[in-house]
Amino acid sequence: MAPEDPVAMNPAPTPSLRTKISRRFLESLVKIRASLEQPTGGNIQRRARRIKIAAYSSMACAAGSRRAWSRALLAKLRSRAKRRHHSQHQRCLGLKRKRAGSRNMAPYKVSRANELRRLVPGGKAMDLCNLLEETSHFIQCLAAQVKVMQTIVDRCSV
Amino acid sequence: MEGCDGGDIGFRHGGDNFLNFPHSGVTPSSVPEEFSGMAINPFVSSGWDPLGSLTQSYHFSNPSLASGFPFSPHPGIMENQGTGGDFPPPLSHNPSALTEQVSFSRIPCSESRSYLDAVGYFGLPDIANAGCLPKYDSHREDDHDGSEGASANNKLSQECRIEEDAEGSSPSVKRRKNAPVHDTIYDKEVKKNPSRVNSDVSKEWDEKKQKNEQIPYPNSQGKQNGKQVRDSVEAPKENYIHVRARRGQATNSHSLAERVRREKISERMRMLQELVPGCNKITGKAVMLDEIINYVQSLQQQVEFLSMKLAAVSPELSINLERILSKDIFCSQGSSATIVDTERGMACSSPYTQGFFPEAFPSIPSSNHHYPPLTQAFCESELQAHCQLGFHSSSGVDSLGLNGRLKSER
Repeated sequence: MAPEDPVAMNPAPTPSLRTKISRRFLESLVKIRASLEQPTGGNIQRRARRIKIAAYSSMACAAGSRRAWSRALLAKLRSRAKRRHHSQHQRCLGLKRKRAGSRNMAPYKVSRANELRRLVPGGKAMDLCNLLEETSHFIQCLAAQVKVMQTIVDRCSV
Repeated sequence: MEGCDGGDIGFRHGGDNFLNFPHSGVTPSSVPEEFSGMAINPFVSSGWDPLGSLTQSYHFSNPSLASGFPFSPHPGIMENQGTGGDFPPPLSHNPSALTEQVSFSRIPCSESRSYLDAVGYFGLPDIANAGCLPKYDSHREDDHDGSEGASANNKLSQECRIEEDAEGSSPSVKRRKNAPVHDTIYDKEVKKNPSRVNSDVSKEWDEKKQKNEQIPYPNSQGKQNGKQVRDSVEAPKENYIHVRARRGQATNSHSLAERVRREKISERMRMLQELVPGCNKITGKAVMLDEIINYVQSLQQQVEFLSMKLAAVSPELSINLERILSKDIFCSQGSSATIVDTERGMACSSPYTQGFFPEAFPSIPSSNHHYPPLTQAFCESELQAHCQLGFHSSSGVDSLGLNGRLKSER
């Protein structure tokens, strides 16, 4: 965790970023709960998944469309949502295909930069310069998001 | 700087070594200043005073030659320029005149690669010397030392001279025109901001230079000679401008771009170093990247974990979320400092969390324990909700581990 580093670095944008993130995230949380209230017995995993997606999307929305990673993340989430909306069968196929691809990729020696590319959304199309820049911003946003979630969890106290 | 013409002429008659030439363009009294002082001044003086002296010397020693070209008004101008120290427009005229003059000479060889370096370093006299040497050999021998004039007669000896004296011999006429002009542009730009080593200006300049250098290479020997000359030029060049000396390593556009890229990467690495905790002491790039990857992964895992937590809490606490929402926004707007602490403080002051925290979880941070529960009824309801939640989660196989993790962490 980076408690004060982003705040110390640029005191102006970070609070606003965190405000944006927390507002969006809480709104989406409320929505999720409203939608999940009726079938209250539904499994926690799905709910956690939805919350995670909400967290990432709120983060990406807060970061704005200027950043490549946020664009890539939003596109990915949207496409995934669309796919899931389309049919369950297709999603299974997609997962299978993905797994096969990853298995094929496994033997190759993955450099550290490629590993970072895998982690940062949209990083596959970037060169090292841009990748590092995006990574720095992504880390900032992710840290802010984690902090927001931590505070919410603390409030809700589980 | 006054009287530099006379001093220069005097030197030129007696001087042997042309490496010292640009410094000798300055009056003896001002030489130490030039050496110790700004990096630009030597350029000015070396670029200009010898020219003035040269043209004057031509004028004096070679009236027939000088009369053919518009050189007659120049000595006066030169003196002004020498004293003023600024770059005047006549520079752009001057080389053209010179090149007119030089175009008579037909020296086939060209030290194409490093010619500009040499010119940039020595100023105009190189051109005039090299260009005019063969044709007006007799006059030159009067003007200069014998070795120089004799060496200009054949190419082989000329190369020797190049190696020794670090002086470019005559290239194509176009280059002669371009070289001094670029030099002035560059120097002006450097003059504007001499303190910073700006890569933009240097890059721009280098691109120009490269364009120029792509202009015809008459013979393949040029490159070799150029390299030799550059090696010999590099050593004294470091006295002048730092940008150039650093750039002397490789002026190829690819290597330039590569260098810029490397600088960018290192800068971003530094930025990331500040962001990622525990990365301050690490110097290696690979280790840094490892650390960054670990940090990103840990953050993502944290997000996942927290979302799990929230999912576990969610259905029971949905009513209170609006309250948190409003409070959270208020919190983050109100405080620009570390928000976690302030939120803690707010939470402590608010009756809801005061009642909620201490009773439900005895292992909660100590700051909350100081406050007695005010709303007991609300707390009880929360406790019940939590018990319910525990029951729910323990029923699921997957969520059992999650619950255990939560308990252990709390």
